[in-house]
Amino acid sequence: MHDRRVVTARLTKVFRETFDDNSIELRDETTAKDIMEWDSLTHIILVLAVEQEFGLSLNAAEIGSLENVGKMLDLLVVKATR
Amino acid sequence: MQKEPSMVQDLDRALNAAKSAISRRESKEALRILKGISDPNSHFVAQSRITKVFASLDCGQLDLKPIRIALLASATIDHFADLLRFWLALDGFAANIWIAPYDTIAATILDEGSSLYSFRPDITWIFSTYRDVRIHANPDDATSIGGSINDLVLEYKKLWAKVQSQVHCVVIHNNADVPAEDAFGNFARQAAWTRRNVLHRYNLTLAEAAQAGVVIFDIDHIASTLGRSRWTDWRYWYHSKHPFSFEAHGPVAFHAARLISSIKGHARKCLVLDLDNTLWGGVIGDDGLPGIELGNGPAGEAFVDFQRYILALKERGIILAVCSKNDESIAKEPFEKHPDMQLRLSDIAVFRANWESKAENIREIARVLNIGLEAMVFVDDNPAERDLVRQFLPTVAVPDLPEDPSGFVQAVDGHCYFETITFSTEDRDRANYYRGNAARTELLASFSDMADYLRSLQMVSARGDMDVFHLPRMAQLINKSNQFHLTGTRYSESELRDRAAQPNVAVRFFKLEDKFGDNGLISVVVLEARNGQLIVDTWVMSCRVLGRTMEEFICNDMIETARRLDCHSIIGRYVPSGKNKLVCELYERLGFSLVEDHQGATTWRLGLKRELDQLNTFVAPTSHLEQADLQHA
Repeated sequence: MHDRRVVTARLTKVFRETFDDNSIELRDETTAKDIMEWDSLTHIILVLAVEQEFGLSLNAAEIGSLENVGKMLDLLVVKATR
Repeated sequence: MQKEPSMVQDLDRALNAAKSAISRRESKEALRILKGISDPNSHFVAQSRITKVFASLDCGQLDLKPIRIALLASATIDHFADLLRFWLALDGFAANIWIAPYDTIAATILDEGSSLYSFRPDITWIFSTYRDVRIHANPDDATSIGGSINDLVLEYKKLWAKVQSQVHCVVIHNNADVPAEDAFGNFARQAAWTRRNVLHRYNLTLAEAAQAGVVIFDIDHIASTLGRSRWTDWRYWYHSKHPFSFEAHGPVAFHAARLISSIKGHARKCLVLDLDNTLWGGVIGDDGLPGIELGNGPAGEAFVDFQRYILALKERGIILAVCSKNDESIAKEPFEKHPDMQLRLSDIAVFRANWESKAENIREIARVLNIGLEAMVFVDDNPAERDLVRQFLPTVAVPDLPEDPSGFVQAVDGHCYFETITFSTEDRDRANYYRGNAARTELLASFSDMADYLRSLQMVSARGDMDVFHLPRMAQLINKSNQFHLTGTRYSESELRDRAAQPNVAVRFFKLEDKFGDNGLISVVVLEARNGQLIVDTWVMSCRVLGRTMEEFICNDMIETARRLDCHSIIGRYVPSGKNKLVCELYERLGFSLVEDHQGATTWRLGLKRELDQLNTFVAPTSHLEQADLQHA
């Protein structure tokens, strides 16, 4: 298990880079509705960036299920390899 | 491929630098920075971040050529399109990309009211994959496979024809990316009905069917270069129908951009080579002929193979030049005497060995060859020389070379500088044309009178109206010419064919032969008769025959065409393109008078008297040799 706060900080960095927006602050309940550019196409880029940052490979079902930040964190604290 | 940023910080730093350049409204500087960190083989996320910054650029400041591309696919290609837009910008294009609704390839093309046609694309791209090749062969019916493949290709041919009947554009069609997996394993190559062999056969049939105006994009080759196991990422196929892995997106977009550049005449034409430690190991001036590494030993063999690769480029029409810091006689010694030298002096169009700056020498080579700097590639093992040329001649392509010569071929080849969509006899013979030109230059030096010299060349021109045999070369010449191009018009093969079919239009070609050899098809004109005037819509000519009175010969031919189409005057236009300054005074020289000057774009008129004197030329029509002699009597 990884420290959820550390993972949150790293995930925030990924979000900021992906959406090129340094004002993004993440909460568990943050969803695509809260971030203007987060749509089905940028979601893929976000997932690829998460895979790269945390050194893991999500399966096809997981890719689609990460609709909010809380679910991402739940998954990453368990599965991250770095 | 450019160097990958060694660390993520490099990427961050460069992106920030680019963003601050954008905020200063320095778009060119921003694009230069992005170009410096771009690498098609880098991680998709890195390319995606670069692309995102690029998207905020003001492309209006970049002198990019607009191009409209329609993509039709039964897969998700939005991410590919984003990268394509960026890679095209690096090749000089501002791409407007329209993507057809998912999985509607045939329906979109067949519907004359579809948005595809109102978009008016320059390129219509059937972005298919092997999944679109729905042929199920089985062992019981091996004989019908050829027929099934032909039927499918025939359907695609109908789609190509439909597109080109609706809009003037080039059609690009992907071939099938043969998957790595096959139920028959090794045996898949041995039986006609296995998926692997069916797809290979389909690819061959599709390539054979591609006629003028249709280009096959060989994604199967990109898949094999990348590695088929890395080509597919099934997770993203099942999740979102991405046709290939994200790792493959960069290489596909990069190759696609190079192909489109080639279609639009942006491919490079000339390879400028350093000598010491580039074509052989060691320094000829210090090590002497027996001392250089060439032929023997691992490095020596690598240099031989690099030379063979360069020779293969020359044989497909790439012009070779040498630019070396050396004494000329010493630099030429290996070419003349070394038994393992693959390149000979006769392969080199321009040989510059001196102690001047390489940037100056390259500029001079471009001038002698009459080609633009943006058509040149410079290969040098010395990073300092590469830097200097990049700095002073930013439009010359300068690939990085590894220290080990065994990587030279890959380092140059990976950039796809010399992509082509046709291969004509002119391409094969281009090196000979340039060699012939050198011989002519020497002959010229022996004459004091230009007329005597031109007469001694015994020039003969075969000319005629466009036909299917000459169409590919004619379109190629129109699209490649920049300097001797009066109006800057571009025509695809299908557009040119349509132009020629109009009753009031003449599309003429001209060839030129002299005692040193055949120069091939060197000029094309598109003439349109309108209200008693013959308008020179397009006039391109190869610069290598400049100053040989070919212009006058062609003008005489225009006069004949004008008479045939009942015209009483010829109207010529000069539209400045930034590259065609060479011909801004052409019409004046040919006796036209200025009608209008609109900010440098000029219109000229030549009135045809009943018995107009023909312009003096030393070029004779093929079948009228004796007449030409009379003309100059």
